[in-house]
Amino acid sequence: MNIDNTASQMRKGVLEFCILSVIKQGEAYPSDIIDKMKAANLNILEGTLYPLLTRLKNAELLTYRWVESNSGPPRKYFSLTVKGADFYKELEATWFELANAVKALTEAEQQHFNNNNFNNPQ
Amino acid sequence: MTNIDNLMGNTQLTKQKIKAMKQVININFQGRVVPIEVTAFELLKNYTESLNKHFAAEVGKEEIINDIESRIGELFQERLKNGATCITDDDVNAVIKSMGRPEEFEDDDNSQPAGQQTTSETHTQQNFYNNNANANTHKRLYRDESNKVLGGVCSGIANYFNIDALIVRILFVVSGVGFLAYVLLWAFVPGNSAAVIGGPRKKLYRDGDDKIVAGVCSGIGNYFGMSAWIPRILFLLPFLSFVFRWGHWGMMDFPNFLRVGFSPGALIIYIILWLVIPEAFTTTEKLEMKGERVDMNTIKNSVMEEIKGVQQRAQKFGKEATTVVGDTSKVIASEAGNVARRSSRSLGDIIVFLLKIFAYFIVGVVGFALVVAMFTLAVFSITVFPLKDFLVADGWQNVYAWGTLLFFIGIPVIGIITWIIRKLVKAKAHSRMIRLSFGSLWVIGWVCFIMLLSSVSRDFKATNTINEQEISLSNPKVNKLELTSVSSLKKYYRYNWFRLEPFEGMEEDTAYLKNVEVVIVKSSNDSFRVTMVKMVNGRTRHAADTLARLMEYNVEQKDSLLLLDKGIPITRTDKFRNQRIVLTVYVPVGKQIRVNRNVGWGQNIHFNGPWNSNDWNFNIEVDDAEHGWDEDEDYIMKADGLYTLDGYPADGNKERKQRINNGKIQVRDGNTKVTMDRNGITVDENAYRYDNNSSAPTRVDSLKQKQEQEKQRLKDSLQKASDKINKQLDKLNENNDPLPLAAYNLPVFNPILNMN
Repeated sequence: MNIDNTASQMRKGVLEFCILSVIKQGEAYPSDIIDKMKAANLNILEGTLYPLLTRLKNAELLTYRWVESNSGPPRKYFSLTVKGADFYKELEATWFELANAVKALTEAEQQHFNNNNFNNPQ
Repeated sequence: MTNIDNLMGNTQLTKQKIKAMKQVININFQGRVVPIEVTAFELLKNYTESLNKHFAAEVGKEEIINDIESRIGELFQERLKNGATCITDDDVNAVIKSMGRPEEFEDDDNSQPAGQQTTSETHTQQNFYNNNANANTHKRLYRDESNKVLGGVCSGIANYFNIDALIVRILFVVSGVGFLAYVLLWAFVPGNSAAVIGGPRKKLYRDGDDKIVAGVCSGIGNYFGMSAWIPRILFLLPFLSFVFRWGHWGMMDFPNFLRVGFSPGALIIYIILWLVIPEAFTTTEKLEMKGERVDMNTIKNSVMEEIKGVQQRAQKFGKEATTVVGDTSKVIASEAGNVARRSSRSLGDIIVFLLKIFAYFIVGVVGFALVVAMFTLAVFSITVFPLKDFLVADGWQNVYAWGTLLFFIGIPVIGIITWIIRKLVKAKAHSRMIRLSFGSLWVIGWVCFIMLLSSVSRDFKATNTINEQEISLSNPKVNKLELTSVSSLKKYYRYNWFRLEPFEGMEEDTAYLKNVEVVIVKSSNDSFRVTMVKMVNGRTRHAADTLARLMEYNVEQKDSLLLLDKGIPITRTDKFRNQRIVLTVYVPVGKQIRVNRNVGWGQNIHFNGPWNSNDWNFNIEVDDAEHGWDEDEDYIMKADGLYTLDGYPADGNKERKQRINNGKIQVRDGNTKVTMDRNGITVDENAYRYDNNSSAPTRVDSLKQKQEQEKQRLKDSLQKASDKINKQLDKLNENNDPLPLAAYNLPVFNPILNMN
């Protein structure tokens, strides 16, 4: 078992959820999303983000519109579709279930690991 | 494997060369002009290629890559804004780091865990990507550019099947279809240098950024490094020549040599190319499409500075100005590139070069002809326009006429001239306003033209009542009547380049129309008789009748002359409405008739079209009219019709046996033609092969034949006589003795007396 591999598998599962939650707060340009995630200490490569956004868009969870920028060509701004909002709600429910379960299971062993940190995984 | 090593060696070599020069090139990256070092460009290209491979199986591949490239472009832009003169290796590496390499991407679709790939990262970057490309297990057919004779097709095939290139070459040369197949493969198989090294080779793509229909033409233009307008015009040629067939306007013919077209299948060819050529989506493909974007770094750096300055100043002019500058720089760049490439010319380059010359030639010819045609049209309409008052009624029709002249004819002339000038100075601003206003003015022109046509044609809708009026002759019993016009015989303009013809002559207020026809009929008594019919069109029958009454055409007999007016007068108030006069001359048997050429035109001038073609034709059918007579020739009326004074029927349908003209007598008898002129008599026995047995000789014919033979005999003997005279004259000249005058006369008459 490779530790990097397992860690990245764990991250992958929550990336989409995180992206959706950023976009849910308001229309977002990809580099805004990156910045917000960075601010939350979740580092993600742009090369990872773009394919994910495209896939979510193709699954009709996201939609985008072109916004003129004052430098260069227009940019894509993403927002949630109705379907995407529903999808997010389900993910959110699943996530809290999971988080609570993990919390309950790990709390006994790691006393110092508190709730707040748990929402900001490394 | 040896092949791969070769390629890698090549790469290294290229890179060394480039480093020594430290070139900066201009690339058009996602709609931005980006100055970038060649080495950095290589890195960037490799990176986008690795992205391409990584997302090859992905559904939204183009979109993802486009998004990423767009973001990269944005990052570059930021760097340039912060004062960098160009993008360096470091910049590209930084950008790649922030974007992440494909193997670092966290995506669940990738079956290979990222960790496994990192093991191979001991290689250098360059080697890593090349390895990645070569590790692709399925083979692809590439043209081998490093081992080429013509285009590397054969060596590429040889690589693919792992055989010697020479074998493939021999097969290609020996087999008949080799050449066509070769050219096709050359066109459609990518060269390995483009795919692996990222070198200067171009690929044919459709250019979606600069398209009118599907970008086929702009793609071809990119491939050959010329303006997209050249292939566009080549494709449009057949349509252009169709548009320019003015035949139905009776104006002029589009110069014939322009009808070369490219076969009527231009549309089909276009569609096939549309299907076959892929569209360039990603920047990599777009760069491949445009090929190498040129060196001459010093020139370009200064050009870039210029552009930057201009762009800032032109900010308020918006996109238009920037595109002009961008395009100009592109043009400069591609021209410079052409020059650079020409230094290393292979056979392929020469072929491309020749094609280019050919294309430019065709386009030049078309452009020239367009200008000439437009110029002619303009001159024509301006010259003819003063005549409009004779055709067009006041009020709305006049407005339409002006609208037609200004907008329908004037606007395209101005438009094409400005277009050519703009092309010449390479200004290519997308001035929608200009195009829109030109277009709408032309539409107005069309409306005027159609309104004018329909309005004017309504004025021709009805015909007048036919009314045959008798011309009183002062002396109907003359022996000969000669129809002549008071006007002198003029040179007509009918067959001139553009017709200024419709009128015989123009005075200030009156134009004269020579729509005069003469019909010759045998008279029933012994006196001449002349009748006249006036024909005219009008909006209503009443209007036409009024016009007919106003038509003044005087016919007056003066001894044997029948004097006719020089034409039907058309005034500015009594407009041109297909006025036409038919004179019927009844000629008594035994009397002569002659019609001079100046009486009328062989063909009447009339305003005609599908809307009134039936109305125009009165279809003059005089039952016993004489046919086949010529103008300027004397005829005599006989009991069975009109004959020349030599006794041969005027009607061309009856066989003429003798013809006298130009001091030459021709006699025809069956297959034999006898010609007598000052050169003597020639007999051509096989002159008329056709129509020999068409009709059995009638009694009249056989009689004539006998006469003919008599005549022939007489001619022969006369000829003999003249020969004898000549001989005698020669003898006399040799003697040189002065003789009395009578001595000359004697030998002249003697032979004739001796003849029998």
